[in-house]
Amino acid sequence: MNSADTASPQWAAGVCAGVHAAGSRHVVYVPDNPLSHVLRILADRYPDIQTTLATREEEAFGIAAGLYLGGVRPTVMLQSSGLGNALNALTSLLLPYQIPVLILISLRGDAGEWNAAQVPMGRAARAICDAIGVTHTTAESPETTAETVHLVGRTAFGTRMPGVCLLPRRLTVPLATEVTK
Amino acid sequence: MNRLDATRQLVAAIGHDPGTPIIASLGHPAYDLFAAGDRPANFYTWGSMGLASSIGLGLALARPALRVFVVDGDGSLLMNLGSLATMGWTRPENLVLIVWDNEGYGTTGGQETATAHGADLEAAARAMGLSALTVRVEKEFGAAIARARTTPGPWVIVAKVRESGPDTKPPLDCVFIKQRFMAAIGTPEGATRGASIG
Repeated sequence: MNSADTASPQWAAGVCAGVHAAGSRHVVYVPDNPLSHVLRILADRYPDIQTTLATREEEAFGIAAGLYLGGVRPTVMLQSSGLGNALNALTSLLLPYQIPVLILISLRGDAGEWNAAQVPMGRAARAICDAIGVTHTTAESPETTAETVHLVGRTAFGTRMPGVCLLPRRLTVPLATEVTK
Repeated sequence: MNRLDATRQLVAAIGHDPGTPIIASLGHPAYDLFAAGDRPANFYTWGSMGLASSIGLGLALARPALRVFVVDGDGSLLMNLGSLATMGWTRPENLVLIVWDNEGYGTTGGQETATAHGADLEAAARAMGLSALTVRVEKEFGAAIARARTTPGPWVIVAKVRESGPDTKPPLDCVFIKQRFMAAIGTPEGATRGASIG
């Protein structure tokens, strides 16, 4: 497989491998366009990972908390716009109860964005994580995404705190810009 | 019936099994659960209004052999009605959602909720494909619990209750609540088991 394979891009395969390697076997999500690649690969290649669609990001974190109480390592996937919908769940459930969740955020509003409505929340995502005390790490390249997701999950479940892996636009929706001069 | 009496009835019916989890919505439902009978398998939320049913759903999916009870409030469920849709889709047979419907925000001063003005949570649950019923007296509530314990769910029991005005509160230490709960239901957290090296 290579990154030119649009059906299963390398970054998305890396996300799935990282989730699996971190021991997470249940992904609760609110979909977005890039994450559809992750969902397809999970469905095709990871029969031991369950997925549940939530109606809203806050609900996804509640379901994830219940999964953790029942002995499952949960992952939540969302778009950065949904981080705002989820803040009370993070700050009044996951953080005070020290409930670990591997959080994968498909970033909007960063380089490559075309939709002005996505920019303010995307720009604020890291500052919001910092303000509430949730660590965040950015997946920098298709080749390193599996390792980054794995490491963020290992730290989350090892320290029993939620941890965010940001998936920037340049990773999930790259342009094939050729240098001709 | 008032909410504390109904909570006592619930704990009397199911509380003898130390491994049966009860998830409580923040504020008065949690306070009444504590007053009715503190037990390790009670999970008291101190925040995240609206998410008690979601926590119960996640737990029910993770542990299909456990019968999971949730005590929610009408105001809280109205904040997360999408949870009924997700319950209707995922359909865990072992989930029992009890909604204490006092038609008001009891914890914040008794402001009326939409259920005081026609909103019907039983109908909302049915519309999402769930088995649901409304009970108004102890005898009906007891029969509903017995049915929900022994027949496949998910069940939604809307219990019309009067406010009980609790005067005690559960433990404040959230990590203590979590670790005690997880040990009681048979999934002790790593921190309480000893860690592996590497």
